[in-house]
Amino acid sequence: MTAVATPKFGMVVDLERCQGCRACVEACKVENNTSQGVFWMHVFRLEEGEYPETQISFLPRPCQHCDNAPCVKVCPVGARYKRIDGLVLTDYERCIGCRYCVVACPYGVNYFNWKQPAQNYYMDWSDPDIQPASGGAVPPYRNPDLDGRYGSEQKRVAGGGHFRGIVEKCTFCVQRIEKGLQPACVTVCPVQALVFGDLEDQESPVSTYLRGKQSFRLLEETGTEPRVHYIGGRPPGTDVREIEPLQGRAGT
Amino acid sequence: MSVNVSGQPLPQGIGRVTPGWLAVVGAAAAALAVGLYAYSREASEGLIETGLGDPGTGRGVAWGLYVAFVVYFVGVSFAGITIAALIRLFRIERLQGIARIAELLTVVALLLAALSILVDLGQPLRGIVNLFLYARPQSPFFGTFTLVISGYLFASIVYLYLDGRHDAAICARVPSRLQWFHRLWAAGYRDTPAERERHRRTTVWLAIAIIPLLVVAHSTLGFVFGLQVGRPGWYSALQAPAFVVLAGVSGLGLLIVIAAFMRRVGVARERLDEAVFSLLGRFLMVLLIAYLYFMVAELLTSTYAGSHHEQLITQALLSGEYSTIFWASVGLLVLALGLMVWQAVTHRWSIAALVAAGLFVNVAAVGKRYLIVVPSQTQGQLLPYVPGSYAPTLGEYAVVVGLFGLGVLLFALFMKVFPIVELPEEEVPAGA
Repeated sequence: MTAVATPKFGMVVDLERCQGCRACVEACKVENNTSQGVFWMHVFRLEEGEYPETQISFLPRPCQHCDNAPCVKVCPVGARYKRIDGLVLTDYERCIGCRYCVVACPYGVNYFNWKQPAQNYYMDWSDPDIQPASGGAVPPYRNPDLDGRYGSEQKRVAGGGHFRGIVEKCTFCVQRIEKGLQPACVTVCPVQALVFGDLEDQESPVSTYLRGKQSFRLLEETGTEPRVHYIGGRPPGTDVREIEPLQGRAGT
Repeated sequence: MSVNVSGQPLPQGIGRVTPGWLAVVGAAAAALAVGLYAYSREASEGLIETGLGDPGTGRGVAWGLYVAFVVYFVGVSFAGITIAALIRLFRIERLQGIARIAELLTVVALLLAALSILVDLGQPLRGIVNLFLYARPQSPFFGTFTLVISGYLFASIVYLYLDGRHDAAICARVPSRLQWFHRLWAAGYRDTPAERERHRRTTVWLAIAIIPLLVVAHSTLGFVFGLQVGRPGWYSALQAPAFVVLAGVSGLGLLIVIAAFMRRVGVARERLDEAVFSLLGRFLMVLLIAYLYFMVAELLTSTYAGSHHEQLITQALLSGEYSTIFWASVGLLVLALGLMVWQAVTHRWSIAALVAAGLFVNVAAVGKRYLIVVPSQTQGQLLPYVPGSYAPTLGEYAVVVGLFGLGVLLFALFMKVFPIVELPEEEVPAGA
């Protein structure tokens, strides 16, 4: 028995700070090499009320890494699983592509690889005109950490764009966490609206940040027990509408 | 049709190819070829060939036409073996003529359902392997793979086999090119009174086992949807029983259509008489009433007391994006019920009217299955995503057409190698 407790990772999102710049969305795409139309991190830009009395708000939506995750429950082969440190991950060597997790998730955070990921980046890297600039790399940026095996299970779970016909989603940047780094979205946020860390440890920065503040979690009524807490705002009501939605179906 | 007199041909046109049969087989094979081509595109390019997409920011649906047809085909399989088992359990002699068609319908429909799942998977090969290696009972899918596709299919094949041995033994007495096949099926069965009694007892027990299996299996398919708390429109306790009942409606409807077709092409006309059809019709009528009751109860709950998101879906069904399919399906169901009630009241059962009703309920069942699968994904987002949309591509339709082609092909081949209507018992000399 070791005295060291397993960390229980979680995230706090300060809605008062978020300005909807979507830098986190971009950082996530670069770090995790996700293909076109795939947004593991998404920031809702929401509008409420009628002109001229409209109110605007922003709502970052990473995977909620639920403790009672519907996607984990429904996966027929156990490819989607919950780690002891709170992360919900996909073993992309086991996923059969039935997309049950996609329809079971109330947050809409799952993305299926509808076509060969290599053919599905924003630019055609094999284009001869691009080749001189990219030095022949396909794609030019490829984080070697994304191919590693992680956790005691030693599964391939990090990053996106690996196989056609499987489901991928936000991993809280497992490849960075295992190195002691913060997820890419947290690191890049210019106003530090995202705080990440061990929610179990009462002295961790994330717990201190959350303490004493009024917080909520998304769709708590569905009983999913998410590990992402929101402060400085209120849950989106039924009369908000998304403006400036992200464009594009994956692969078109 | 005394089949055991030597020199007589095999009953029901077995082994004799007619131009009409060739035309049906040709059309079915062509449909299958189209489906195979469409699937080959999907296999090489990925599911990008379909109209599916990611719900949420992708504004698509992850489950579409294929899943709707998985549910439809499993539903159709319901009626088959149930009818056969009920005939056996309650000794409804009048329906005996339809038992084999019903059994075959179950086997074929379940095969088509399994194939529909396979074409929907992103990694079909892994799907087959990993389900054996890592299947989890906690997933509602577990029941679909174990109870529906494996258990139910296996039980149905065994039932079809056992029930067919008697006829196989009779056919095996006739010298023909198919004699080896009939001998193989009969497997030493000679139809002695002792054998007959043993068979009767076995099939009765199998029938007793099949009926609860059927209810459980079809319920698990309903639970695939009904247990999803994050999907308004799916999350409902009524989902499982309503699945079972609509399954019965579509299955019985299709059974009537197929039996009428067999009668039309002259297979054992005297065994498929009006009495058979009127009995099936009454059964269909009762199930139809039960289904409409479920539907009204569900609609009433979701309009009167539904959450905001459930009301959005109900609105999309009643007057929005999906209203055409919804009202067309409901209209066809009501029309079919009207036809049944009118026939029941006048005591005049017409096969043509029953076939029409059978077709109506099947088109309606496809529509209803589609409406279960799709709207909860486009309008049922709990977070404020822009509503999604879905239109199946030509490729998806082609694959479904190919599946139907395969089904027709299997039926057509079966009826040329084996009696598709059970041979009457009294024609068998005792102790042959």
